[in-house]
Amino acid sequence: MSEYDAALAIFMQETEELLAQMEYGLLGLEDNPGDSESINSVFRAMHTIKGTSGLFGFDDVVAFTHEVESVLDKVRRGERRIDAALISILLNCKDHAADLIKHSLETESAALPDALKATGADLIMQLAGTPAVSAKMAAASQPVDHEGQAEQAASASNHDNSGDNWLISLKFRQDALRNGIDPLSFISFLKKKGDIVAIQTLAPELPVGNQMDPESCYLHFNIIFHSELDKQAIADVFEFAEDDCDIRIIAPHSKVEHYLDLLQEQAGDDDNHVEKLGEMLINIGALTPNEVAAALQQQKQAWSQGSATAKPLGEILVEQQFTEQPVVAQALKKQQAAREKTIAEANYIRVDSAKLGQLINLVGELVISGAAMRLMVDRYGLSDVEEVAVGMNDLVSEIRDTALKLRMVAIGDTFSRFRRVVRDVSNDLHKQIELVITGGETELDKTVVEKINDPLTHLVRNALDHGIEPPEQRQASGKPAQGTVHLNAYHDSGHIVVQVADDGAGLDADKILAKAIASGLVTADQQLTKQEIFNLIFEAGLSTKEQLSNLSGRGVGMDVVRRNIEALRGSVSLDSIEGRGTTVTIHLPLTLAIIDGFMVETENERYIIPLGMIEECVEMNSSEWEIDTIQHYINLRGEVLPYLRLGDYFHNRSRHQGNEHRESLVVVRFGQAKVGLVVDQLHGEHQTVIKPLGKVFEQLQGISGATVLGNGNVALILDVQSLIQHAVKRKGPYAGAVTPH
Amino acid sequence: MINLAIEGKHTDTASVAGDQFQQYLTFLVGKDNFGINILDVKEIIEINNITRIPKTPDYIRGVINLRGNVVPVIDLSARLDRQRSEITKLSCIVLVEVDVHGESQVIGALVDQVNEILDIADADILPAPDFGTDIRTDFIQAMGRVDDNFIILLAINRILSIDELSQLQRVANTQAGIAMSDDTSNFKKLDKSDEY
Repeated sequence: MSEYDAALAIFMQETEELLAQMEYGLLGLEDNPGDSESINSVFRAMHTIKGTSGLFGFDDVVAFTHEVESVLDKVRRGERRIDAALISILLNCKDHAADLIKHSLETESAALPDALKATGADLIMQLAGTPAVSAKMAAASQPVDHEGQAEQAASASNHDNSGDNWLISLKFRQDALRNGIDPLSFISFLKKKGDIVAIQTLAPELPVGNQMDPESCYLHFNIIFHSELDKQAIADVFEFAEDDCDIRIIAPHSKVEHYLDLLQEQAGDDDNHVEKLGEMLINIGALTPNEVAAALQQQKQAWSQGSATAKPLGEILVEQQFTEQPVVAQALKKQQAAREKTIAEANYIRVDSAKLGQLINLVGELVISGAAMRLMVDRYGLSDVEEVAVGMNDLVSEIRDTALKLRMVAIGDTFSRFRRVVRDVSNDLHKQIELVITGGETELDKTVVEKINDPLTHLVRNALDHGIEPPEQRQASGKPAQGTVHLNAYHDSGHIVVQVADDGAGLDADKILAKAIASGLVTADQQLTKQEIFNLIFEAGLSTKEQLSNLSGRGVGMDVVRRNIEALRGSVSLDSIEGRGTTVTIHLPLTLAIIDGFMVETENERYIIPLGMIEECVEMNSSEWEIDTIQHYINLRGEVLPYLRLGDYFHNRSRHQGNEHRESLVVVRFGQAKVGLVVDQLHGEHQTVIKPLGKVFEQLQGISGATVLGNGNVALILDVQSLIQHAVKRKGPYAGAVTPH
Repeated sequence: MINLAIEGKHTDTASVAGDQFQQYLTFLVGKDNFGINILDVKEIIEINNITRIPKTPDYIRGVINLRGNVVPVIDLSARLDRQRSEITKLSCIVLVEVDVHGESQVIGALVDQVNEILDIADADILPAPDFGTDIRTDFIQAMGRVDDNFIILLAINRILSIDELSQLQRVANTQAGIAMSDDTSNFKKLDKSDEY
């Protein structure tokens, strides 16, 4: 990949993140219109996108984002109020920006298709159309160059008292002209960069009459300058004059004291000039007349009292409370936060996920090597090496855990993206729906997070479309008008559980059954439990919605959801109470690569059970326990436990041939269901590197993978979930339900 | 451990009077000699330990550890609807790379004995007969004439087709399910959706 392509790839990733950040900020502003952090983050996003797009020459993107950025700049400076209408427009702008970027990336220099052009123009009009403090904005949609833009904006906001007005104070020294510095040329140049709102020319040192030296420069200028430039750019204008001129540049909306400082400097001169400056400052809104009068008065007093050290205006300001202490404190806090943020940001590194995958593969091989070494140590009884070997194994364990954690990503980000979906859909359907998110900090493997996005989206849309009823209907049934969709995630014994719950209408089992019979999925005389009826929803082609909407109702969603989740070696189930709501629960394995396993042996074959699913291991006491061999359950300390002999299961034997040797019982749990597995021998914990069995064994029941042991042999990893399902099905109806622990 | 790795393209084409030759690996399954195109063969290895996988059809002997990867081993004899192979000193596993839906997987075929590599001219390759052998016709790619004899050239990709193998697995599951529930007469009948 060429460097340019590599740079483009980074650009794509960054803009994606920035747009997500922008959306997040905008949605936050809907709840909290005053949150300046959100406003700033939205502005920064647009600003950065504009800048980087400019680097790549994506002019269309630059032009559009510039418009949006200007609006956001006004918002963050308090010149424009942010309200729900504006947020909606801005969200659409974010979408449009994404489209523009996509277009620019895909067709490098082609012209914008008309549809995009039209959307862009439309959005810009909408941005301008909402009432704002400044009267005219650049309503045209052609790509512009910055200077022209600045001039237009400047002329538009001549009446704008709190515009981008810089105060530039130039005090040319006497030798300026002699050194080839011509004030007029600088000022002309300055004019090109922006708009000179007002200019005050002073000559406080001009001597009288024939004492004036025509080759000396006595001129001072106070200029109110309106421009888009930043301070450095303005300073650059006067770069060459630096040696011969005292330049003071005060940014717009600077603290009052800066202006007053300036006044103070000139206070020693002609009062008239000072007043003029004060007037100018009042005109641009930097100071109020009272402030100027009061401060100057004090200054005058101090001066006239002859105190050599007139109190600095700043102090006077503080005393007079012209500056606001909280503002200062706030500014300091913001600085601190900004500093911390940069520290936090600097701690993240972008890593290519292919490299991470490679690292984890190598760690896997290392684990197997370590196991082989352990075996050698045992076989040859090398006791001195044993300690070292054990130490090494522990280190390998730690590396394994850390490496796997590298790929873990919090699910919260994925959940948060649904806020937009919920907002848009509830607006479209005229329903009131709130999204509640819990467990966002739960982490799972990055690939799983990516693959779970589609199924989750479908489930959320189902909840919004089918689940939550319209407000009137809800109120009629005594529910609050606002419905809730709840996204939840948590860890459970080596699995991660993700739930999508809603407090809507729930599932109508009869309706589902009727539809299923009508579609021929089941016959009319089949007896199905409620759970089985619910599970029918996962069959393709089934939908109880009478009308299609473009969101759902076609009946092709749920089976795809189930297939996607099963492809991740997960499972999905749902539960519902009619009239109260529905909950869809997804189980996903926590790691894909290396797990803590427990090795058991039965009939000379070794198997691995995921350690997280094991509740306990007990010696099987056939003589003392109540074992029902017909119904296949055991009375374990008063608890009914279905059981399953691994040997019989894997050799397809339905009747057990009794034998005299000691057996062990391993109690495993998946979700709420427990089962006892009867094995011949227990071998203890074993770091298990999961090796996929391949497509040939895709349909295999009871085995979820394989691993390579230290001695080079292959051991099979048990699929606890399917074993439990088999055992539970098999036990007698008289045994009753398994009591949850 | 004999480890013959035969890979790469067949670069030197024998040009004897314009004839094109291809190389075929011949091996014994039971008493019969079969051949497959050398280009399909990835590797030939000795049998170490085959780990049996429970609840699989007879022709799936199990899996082996091939340099850290788990590779399934198919018993060719059983797959060709004959008797199960007996493992002897001469038994070998021929590794073939099978392509399915764009992804490739390595599958091993268990044979009783590996014989020589033969050069067979394209002119000596004849289409498979419609009858006369006990092997499924779609498993036979062609017949190769060697001196006065014929040797059956197998369509190894078809024999080791993953689709078919996993389909048969599903059947095996159901059969096993029925076997397991022999004593559960008072329970409801198992049907397709009851796969455990």
